[in-house]
Amino acid sequence: MEDFPLIRLEGISKYFGKVRANSHIDLDIRAGRIKALLGENGAGKSTLMSILAGRLEPDTGRISVEGQIRRFRSPKDAHLAGIGMVYQHFMLVDTMSVAENVLLGHEGGFMISPAQMRERVRKLAERYGLAVDPTASVGSLSMGERQRVEILKLLCRECRVLIFDEPTAVLTPVESEQLFTAMRRMAAQGKAIVFISHKLPEVLSVADEVAILRRGEVVDAFERSQVPDEAELARRMLGRSLFKEPGQAAFTGETEESGQGARDLQQVMSELPIARIRGWGGRAGRGRRIAQADSVLSLDGLSCRGAGTAGFSKVSFAIAKGQILALVGVAGNGQKELVEVICGLRRPDAGSLKLLGQDYREFFSDLPEQNGLGYIPEDRRGVASCPELSLVDNFLLTARKLFSHRGLLDRKRALRATRALIADHNIIPGNPQARGRELSGGNLQKLIVGRELLRNPRCIVAENPTQGLDVAATEEVWRRLRVARESSGILLVTGDIAEALALADYIAVIYRGKLVDLFSAANQEKVDQIGLMMAGSASAD
Amino acid sequence: MMSGWRIVSRTEPREWGSVVIFAAAFALSLLICGLLLQVQGKDGALGVGLLLSGGFGHLYSYGETLLKAIPIFLCSLGVALCFRLQIWNIGAEGQYVIGTLGGTWFVLTFASLPGWLLLPGMLISAMLAGGFWACVSAVLRQRFGMNEIISTLMLNYIGIEILKYLIYGPWRDPAAMNFPVSPYFSDSAVIAQIWNSSFWLDFGLSENIVDVMAQLCGRAHWGILSCLIAGCLCSFFLQKTRLGYEITAAGSNAKAARFAGIPYSRLVILVMFICGALAGLAGIQECSATLERLEPHIVVGYGYTAVVVAWLAKLRTVRIAFFAIILAGLRVGVENVQLELQVSNSFANTLEGIILITVLAGQFFNDYSLKRKFS
Amino acid sequence: MEDFLPYLAVLLPAMTAAISTGAPILYATLGELVMERGGVLNLGVEGMMMVGALAAFLGCYHTGSPWFGLLCGGFSAMLMSMLHGAICLIFQGSQVVSGLALTIFGTGLANYLGTPYIQMKIQGFTALDVPLLSSIPVLGPIFFQQDVLVYLSYILPFLLWWLLMRTRFGLALRATGENPAAVRAAGISPGAVRWAALMLGGFLVGLGGAYLALASMRMWVDNLVSGRGWIAVALVIFAFWRPGRAVFGVYLFSGITAYLFRAQALGVGIPTAFLSMLPYLMTLAVLLASSLRGKDSGAPADLANNLRPED
Repeated sequence: MEDFPLIRLEGISKYFGKVRANSHIDLDIRAGRIKALLGENGAGKSTLMSILAGRLEPDTGRISVEGQIRRFRSPKDAHLAGIGMVYQHFMLVDTMSVAENVLLGHEGGFMISPAQMRERVRKLAERYGLAVDPTASVGSLSMGERQRVEILKLLCRECRVLIFDEPTAVLTPVESEQLFTAMRRMAAQGKAIVFISHKLPEVLSVADEVAILRRGEVVDAFERSQVPDEAELARRMLGRSLFKEPGQAAFTGETEESGQGARDLQQVMSELPIARIRGWGGRAGRGRRIAQADSVLSLDGLSCRGAGTAGFSKVSFAIAKGQILALVGVAGNGQKELVEVICGLRRPDAGSLKLLGQDYREFFSDLPEQNGLGYIPEDRRGVASCPELSLVDNFLLTARKLFSHRGLLDRKRALRATRALIADHNIIPGNPQARGRELSGGNLQKLIVGRELLRNPRCIVAENPTQGLDVAATEEVWRRLRVARESSGILLVTGDIAEALALADYIAVIYRGKLVDLFSAANQEKVDQIGLMMAGSASAD
Repeated sequence: MMSGWRIVSRTEPREWGSVVIFAAAFALSLLICGLLLQVQGKDGALGVGLLLSGGFGHLYSYGETLLKAIPIFLCSLGVALCFRLQIWNIGAEGQYVIGTLGGTWFVLTFASLPGWLLLPGMLISAMLAGGFWACVSAVLRQRFGMNEIISTLMLNYIGIEILKYLIYGPWRDPAAMNFPVSPYFSDSAVIAQIWNSSFWLDFGLSENIVDVMAQLCGRAHWGILSCLIAGCLCSFFLQKTRLGYEITAAGSNAKAARFAGIPYSRLVILVMFICGALAGLAGIQECSATLERLEPHIVVGYGYTAVVVAWLAKLRTVRIAFFAIILAGLRVGVENVQLELQVSNSFANTLEGIILITVLAGQFFNDYSLKRKFS
Repeated sequence: MEDFLPYLAVLLPAMTAAISTGAPILYATLGELVMERGGVLNLGVEGMMMVGALAAFLGCYHTGSPWFGLLCGGFSAMLMSMLHGAICLIFQGSQVVSGLALTIFGTGLANYLGTPYIQMKIQGFTALDVPLLSSIPVLGPIFFQQDVLVYLSYILPFLLWWLLMRTRFGLALRATGENPAAVRAAGISPGAVRWAALMLGGFLVGLGGAYLALASMRMWVDNLVSGRGWIAVALVIFAFWRPGRAVFGVYLFSGITAYLFRAQALGVGIPTAFLSMLPYLMTLAVLLASSLRGKDSGAPADLANNLRPED
């Protein structure tokens, strides 16, 4: 028995159509060890773990548990083998209590007793140091607490292998630390832990062993002790150095190509019968003039109670042309409501909000179609696009007024503009009649960013604009935002400190609906404290 | 080791898939209907034959089919517009009834107006009545978040009760010997039939041709013009105007519409008003052209058939016309079956229900494909 | 003071009537509630009740046994419900359209097959006084001089509450209505749970239809259900998907309706036309009342969404 690892994967391959997600992967998972699975987006980490958790079946290869070959046809089979997964998107029922969630699907008698359930969950939580109230409704819990519920679900089933899919993406730095402590404790009690991540410091701090995936293959596997620092780990992950020089070869090819697209776009936009868009060479002046005030966006004591959420209170800041202000915080601390208020989707309760020097009532009552407000929402598929409509129709979603005249829509011109946009941004597939849902997240985001920047808005709100994008797409979005900054002020709402530091001039940290602090991105002392501020544990001064 | 079937979503629907599916579903539906007739001791094969020949088998079938297709098409056009915005308006039946009442009110109140005022007045009044009746549900939905499926349905029942009240009460023709009917409309408020035999005879057309044409056109009336106009306007509206685009976009993703500043509530009210107006137009035309007065028989479930048509046609205008004619033909066919085999008129509903169910299930084969699973 | 006496006097018969007219709606409402808690929107209640009523009538007519009729009613509606299941759970059809199709089909089918039986009478269920309890003043005549199906309907909500809140199946059912992915991740098949919900709910809806044929009318008439199925759908919304509130909603609905009908018989100036619209107006009022309570209505989060077949 001792000779076999707890789980052994041999020659696992998985294809989605022609796309190779996993190719001949061999992997051992041992009890009492924390194994980190490291790789970039799309390297095949999640696919591999979904196979192990029984959600997907591999095309080839085999899985053995303690030396016995097993076949997982459903998550249930994997459960029976003692394998459980904490998904990135929690599999929880918000309206039910913690105890009910933990015991859902747990074998037992036909009848259930709430008191017994609560007691059982309480004991389990104590044993592993995962503090959470068994009677609380899951919907009222923080992300960290929800994750604990997910872990409890697996522990309750006596899982021996726990897989964590990017578990820290939704956590504050403090909660992440707590999670790592819990993971170490579970490993110490004999559980095998698999930890999927692309964050190097985390891997270094918690893993016992590391496997690196690249393009569906395990390219490297080693003990944690073999890598001295982040730079070395990064080198092994990327196969090259992490910090590349700006303007590297990767993008030069595209710039030439995109030049033609940009010229086409310029052409189409300048031909619009109502062209008054500054920056597109249109006949400016026929539309409503926007005051050339320097202050693009200013909030003073702005408050709004969310519907069912806490909302935010007394938020004040100002953004001028040429500035990027990053609003940093863990999701669910009032950013959503704040953005909705700024974008005119929700009314504030108190305080003043000025866009381009105008009171918000005035601004939204006569919303300028050009040079006004551009909004890049976080939820690309749910809010920013119509997955069932063509790219042209998706393009028209916010650009429709530019392409209509006396109520009639100029579809021909819109089609040309979409083509040009697709060429300019290198969007794949390049067919403007393709449907929105056929685009990958990165390509869809390029379309949305391009569409929003098309009107040369002077105020831009971008919500986690690079979430879920790979390195190249992220760079591209950042580049576009940096260019857009020349003529506008940008509010960047993000949960990713690295992104804030890469783009912002100023950083504001939000916690429970209040601004914790606002400082220049050059203030190194403050920057070092961002993590603590996001968890609400640093004072404002 | 194991093999089984796996369901895979198709990225592109099959070419000609929907045609094949409809044909198969239609055939299956007819088969089931034949069996149902057999259950009641009737000759099923004969029944199905009668069903088909009634609507499409004779020269005189076509006029009758067209006659029924007119209201179904108009209602369905409106219903499809609502469905496009994901508003489940099942209330075309009630809007049809209230529209009829609105038009009838105008005719009865202003009977002495000259024809060039009376006829348009009647039509406009009907459209307004139907439109506003539909807006009740729209406002309830947008203002109070009330489920529009149930509210439109309840308004259907209520509309029919209002019709009954009026026709048994204030609007009953005293000369009609206690029958629940209104007085006849004045001649100028009657929509004429397409084929006017005496006119063409006077014109010098041979009697044979006039006869054939009279059979062919039957009772079909000039309301067909309103179908053409409404159909073209609707297509134009959806494809060429900004408002039409906004309806499509908002129907595809309401959240995205809100974010893009599309005035969703106003669109809901607009499409409901249009649907109500079209249904009202259908109602008053039916009333004026075929009955020439208000009778309770005006309510025959065209509004529900329109829902079936809109869905079968996947909300496309040309297909709506096609399916309106098909289902209208089946209604004529059912009347034929009723007459020959003495079955109840609810047979038409059964048939429509079966077609809808089979097509709904068959749709699966267009969207998904089954693949053999190997390991 | 004396003016009010007659109105008080009709209160008692009105409440008795409210209990018996409410029973079929209660069965249907609870049936729909079970299905919707499992995440399946079934707008076919009206058609299912029609089919259930006809099957119950035919079962009783041909065998003379109302109990056999009752079973026929329940199982036939269950079959209709499974047709909905086949369309939505297997063939991925829209739940809204499928429900409407079920209503059109069920209503048509029952009317069509029932035509030869119009106005024919059956024995059915008659009032059965509960010993002792029925002689309690006031309450006795209202609650305990009813037929046996009404007595069953008293127990049913408690049974359902117990099933939903105190059993493992109920836990899975509620979770399936909220988040089927979580249920699947927990190793339960959400599809199987939905099938179970559809069959149980369909059976209950069928009992509602059967009640109309076997106890309310005791003969066959065209359009026997006449909109009660839709009232049940509305009452589920009013009940915020909770069995206890469903009982309250049903009797509030049937109580007001029954009272107004009797008040009119006393010569109060309620126009007849208004009374015939009353059930529908009441349904609208019921819906309005529930929407006024705000957005947080307790609707299952995954209601009317189909499970994707690929995963």
